[in-house]
Amino acid sequence: MTSLLRALALLLALGCAGAAAAQDFAGLIAALPGGSYADRAKVVKDLGLTGDPRALVVLRALEADDLKVLADGTPVIVNDKTGAAVAAVDGSDRGTPAADSLDRVKVNNAVRRALRSAIGMLTLRDPDPARRLAAARDALKAADPDQIEALDAALAAETDAGVAATLAEARAAAVLKSPDAAGPDQLAAIATLAARGDDAARAALTPVAASAKPDLAKAAQAALARIDEAQRFWGLAQNLWYGLSLGSVLMLAAVGLAITFGVMGVINMAHGELVMLGAYTTFVVQQVIRAEAPGLFGWSLVIAAPLAFVVAGAVGVVIERGIVRHLYGRPLETLLATWGVSLMLQQAVRSAFGPDNRDVGNPGWMSGAFHLGQMQITWNRLWILVFAFAVFAVLLMVLKRTPIGLQMRAVTQNRAMAANMGIRTGRVDALTFGLGSGIAGLAGVALSQIDNVSPNLGQNYIVDSFMVVVFGGAGNIWGTMAGAFTLGIANKFLEPFAGAVLGKILILVGIILFIQKRPRGLFAVKGRAVEA
Amino acid sequence: MNVTRRNLLGGIAAIGAAPLLAPLRGWAAEDTIKVGILHSLSGTMAISETTLKDVMLMLIAEQNAKGGVLGKKLEAVVVDPASNWPLFAEKARELISQDKVAAVFGCWTSVSRKSVLPVFKELNSILFYPVQYEGQESERNVFYTGAAPNQQAIPAVDYLMSADGGGVKRWVLEGTDYVYPRTTNKILEAYLKSKGVADEDIMINYTPFGFSDWQTEVSKIKAFGAAGKKTAVVSTINGDANVPFYKELGNQGIKAEDIPVVAFSVGEEELAGLDTKPLVGHLAAWNYFESIKTPENAAFIEAWHKFTGNPKRVTNDPMEAHYIGFNMWVKAVEKAGTTDADKVIDALPGIEAPNLTGGMSKMLPNHHITKPVYIGEIQEDGQFDVVWKTPDLVPGEPWSPYLPESKDLVSDWVTLKCGNYDKVKQVCLGANG
Amino acid sequence: MIDRRMGIFLAGLFVLAVVVPVGNLALAGQPVPTYLVALIGKYLCYALLAVALDLVWGYCGILSLGHGAFFALGGYAMGMYLMREIGDRGVYANPSVPDFMVFIGWKELPWYWWGFDHFALAAAMVVIAPGLLAFVFGWFAFRSRVTGVYLSIITQAMTYALMLAFFRNDMGFGGNNGLTDFKDILGFDLAQPATKVGLMVLSALALAGGLVLARWVTGSRLGKVLVCVRDAESRTRFLGYRVEHYKLFIFTLSAMMAGVAGALYVPQVGIINPSEFSPANSIEIVIWVALGGRGTLVGAALGAIVVAAAKTVLTGALPEAWLYALGALFILVTLVLPTGVVGALEDTLSRLRGTPPRKEAKA
Repeated sequence: MTSLLRALALLLALGCAGAAAAQDFAGLIAALPGGSYADRAKVVKDLGLTGDPRALVVLRALEADDLKVLADGTPVIVNDKTGAAVAAVDGSDRGTPAADSLDRVKVNNAVRRALRSAIGMLTLRDPDPARRLAAARDALKAADPDQIEALDAALAAETDAGVAATLAEARAAAVLKSPDAAGPDQLAAIATLAARGDDAARAALTPVAASAKPDLAKAAQAALARIDEAQRFWGLAQNLWYGLSLGSVLMLAAVGLAITFGVMGVINMAHGELVMLGAYTTFVVQQVIRAEAPGLFGWSLVIAAPLAFVVAGAVGVVIERGIVRHLYGRPLETLLATWGVSLMLQQAVRSAFGPDNRDVGNPGWMSGAFHLGQMQITWNRLWILVFAFAVFAVLLMVLKRTPIGLQMRAVTQNRAMAANMGIRTGRVDALTFGLGSGIAGLAGVALSQIDNVSPNLGQNYIVDSFMVVVFGGAGNIWGTMAGAFTLGIANKFLEPFAGAVLGKILILVGIILFIQKRPRGLFAVKGRAVEA
Repeated sequence: MNVTRRNLLGGIAAIGAAPLLAPLRGWAAEDTIKVGILHSLSGTMAISETTLKDVMLMLIAEQNAKGGVLGKKLEAVVVDPASNWPLFAEKARELISQDKVAAVFGCWTSVSRKSVLPVFKELNSILFYPVQYEGQESERNVFYTGAAPNQQAIPAVDYLMSADGGGVKRWVLEGTDYVYPRTTNKILEAYLKSKGVADEDIMINYTPFGFSDWQTEVSKIKAFGAAGKKTAVVSTINGDANVPFYKELGNQGIKAEDIPVVAFSVGEEELAGLDTKPLVGHLAAWNYFESIKTPENAAFIEAWHKFTGNPKRVTNDPMEAHYIGFNMWVKAVEKAGTTDADKVIDALPGIEAPNLTGGMSKMLPNHHITKPVYIGEIQEDGQFDVVWKTPDLVPGEPWSPYLPESKDLVSDWVTLKCGNYDKVKQVCLGANG
Repeated sequence: MIDRRMGIFLAGLFVLAVVVPVGNLALAGQPVPTYLVALIGKYLCYALLAVALDLVWGYCGILSLGHGAFFALGGYAMGMYLMREIGDRGVYANPSVPDFMVFIGWKELPWYWWGFDHFALAAAMVVIAPGLLAFVFGWFAFRSRVTGVYLSIITQAMTYALMLAFFRNDMGFGGNNGLTDFKDILGFDLAQPATKVGLMVLSALALAGGLVLARWVTGSRLGKVLVCVRDAESRTRFLGYRVEHYKLFIFTLSAMMAGVAGALYVPQVGIINPSEFSPANSIEIVIWVALGGRGTLVGAALGAIVVAAAKTVLTGALPEAWLYALGALFILVTLVLPTGVVGALEDTLSRLRGTPPRKEAKA
């Protein structure tokens, strides 16, 4: 019964609005180019409320910066590619005006916000449920009392349960903002939003908690308290996730070092620069793809990873054969020589690519985020975590299950004996160093997705990497993994309380104290080899 | 280029005799006027400063093509202070006392400027400093061609508070932990409170240099923005930390329509390292944008592309500051008829030189210049679209009226001969008196 | 006690300390420009720092990657005195609080700045602050028998943590800008050439004193034990020596020397800033020592001077490519001159004379 009445009222309302809109539409379009941004935002909003499908075309054009003004003041929509213009009001052909005779109708954030909400209004009845859901979300963000009617109408017609729920929440948010909504309606709205329980709900409820109406304020405060309670748990989970993510980055940066430094005993100060080479390899691959085969961009990282491994690995082998092999038994001198290498590599990259940041793009599958409960997980961090574990697993396999891995372990444990058994220790040394370097290159591919790609990239990670390896216990790649994740999680749990700077200081002091307790790191190598 | 002469003397062979060779470079050139370029070409600041070295070389080459100054050719003397602050002081001393340069164009960070200041005072030379900074300083030997806080920070906040800017009510002041963000945020905090913003609507946050893991900070901003009031972020995040910050913003889905970020240290050059699609609408406040359409700017950009041989090299605000500063210096030298530091310092205030946005910037008696202020929104192509600008040029003001310790101070090197004159006590404070 | 190489070096130092002042102040035409005086003074401070590191690394096998921290602490102690000496001549003319504190809105001097207007206290703190840090740090580390790379990395963690801490404006040490714009020291104007010459001569004296002291310590019975610790720590312990006490003593002494070097460095370069704490700076000190020759004292000093001078020349002469040259220098020295410059020089000399090359112990 009520729904019938509502539908009737809606029909009536639409009829009236339609009649008014027919005159208004042309007027609104004509008013679009003039005035300030605030005026333009108002016109955009009114266009959205007309419900006129022609408005949608104009608004989309405005959003895409395709709405221009001819010299005579007519707003036209210009096709990006052909340059052909059609009148915004009725779609009539206006030829192909010269680009410099056109004035842009500019948008700023205020207009863009109005646009989003207006386009949402116009797509509330879109046949595609995904679009309707997006429109409902935009309406929730906008929380505009003027939209209540349209939301009611859309709600009455909605068939998809998920979209309907979001629509109801959007309506609730709008009702809470409305000065003339009835008390019970608003209380119901509070309940609806409290059940949603995320930041959007909090944004809608917070102003109500300070409302002059005591019952409303009380209900809102109670709802906010419930949301806070629930979010505390999710906050912990979120922190844990941030910690894992930071840990995975640290592990990637450090695990190559765990091989060259932990296993071979070479203090490779150029490790960070090998990471940087990996990042620049990714950049070059993307440049080539952008120029030659833009369709492959989604695959750019998959293509870059093996190349980065090869490039960094090859440079590693050259460093080992050229320099490090002359210095075995003198670990501290490797520090000196590889420091020199790191300076030269940095300057080489600076000469070749310039000193400023290079743009390494995120492919589609590395962009954006998804929700897990009240927790937000960004795709790039998730993939980096997966990648870190994959690299670690492959590395373990290589060390434990392959002949070359066996030889590597043999040479590190007892070089002379291994040589006597017929192992070509020189070749194994080069391969081990190359493996560690190649993994540094892989780390560079991952880091290019979240950090600067500049000649300084490596410097930012070298100190942290050494901390991780030593904290975990040199000579044990399991220790590196444990060290990386411990430091990552500890850092992220300290950061909200102590702040980013103090948090990092506390972590460093923690490492110093921890080493007092366990002078050989978390996973100490035991036995007689220790003293050597 | 005229720099190469010094390269001949380089090489490892010279290392042993290093300190003895250094003074010999003095007689290298006879009939030129030397101009020192003191920008880091290696180390952490190379990322920003190398461009400024290039633009100075271009300006000097252009001036030489026009016949030089006072009938003499200009000769650029380039050194690399390697982002190392004591080395800045050492190199400044070398430029002034060994190479006898007429003026130095250089420095980026405040600490590098503070490091060379005593050297310029002691040896009485001229420094042109092209970067926006925190103010609270006015020295006789320094000419500040970048923005003072009133030429960047305050107009940006004004815009965001206006109806056009979205009527922001709640503010996050996010910065790197050093003097420029600290001071700017203090000025902004005082200013916002004077505009009736409540304490709980301001959140101030600092992170270390080169910070790269922004997950927690960005989620904090998001939570702070979920209070039902229009929220904006004012970012004084420095250099390297910006790229990961913006990447995290984009990935966590913070859109400019919801929580706009206005930055004071992010220009075209920083954006060149970023995919700007998710960042459309975030803002920056500067005195110049590459996208501003004027004949001067078009000519400058074309010359720049030709000089660097790279049609994609972007231009940015500190480059414009050097352009203005260099032209002012040339005019002042011609007016004074000499490169003598005292005469040029006296000649500079009042000198006008065109800026690249169609106006005439003027050197003021407080050694700052007049500049227009623009607010731009990031576009998909990595450029900025100007959404607001000041109607007139804004005179730079080193002493902020919003801070209690500096509200009574004025700077005037023409009549008062003082950089920090106390209006109330009517005295010139400190050592300058 | 003073062997041949040290004799030569000290004589050279003496000549420098006479020729430079005379050339700068007394001779007409100023054959030694003031610019060079400050530069030489700076090199000498670096040399003293290198000698301090050589004392622990060359003679006791403790590779400290955090010696820059002691140097910087000494520098900060001196910087605080110089800051207070400015008095009311700062831009805000506040007689009781330095400019940078006025700048961040502090009204009163924090307690740890009290007394730094007295030179005597500041001078004492120059050695006490780094000494105390080294003592506490060493007390824990050596007692727990943290050795080798583990020790190196935690010293690096120490200097890194200090760097981050000093970057914080709330610490009250000027944040990133550090302490700067000094006016005078003990009433002498820092801008005067005579003051600069004085500081340079003082640095030369400090370096000579440091060298002699280091020589004396390493030549004593205690020095012999230190070398034992370096070469076979466990054996020394089993012989009944309290290894950690010896290590602690030499570590603290070395930190104090580094502090003195820092204190002399600051008035000559005119700034002290947290970047002195950066791990890269500390690694550079190691490189000076390795380049000059580890365990030779004089070599360490020479290494510091050579590298610093190379940097001065190359950053001016090859601004775009000096890192290649410096990097290549490090690689070549390690590969070709494993005993450092001094070691190689002496080996060559003795080979020329037909005597067998001296054997330098290695760890």
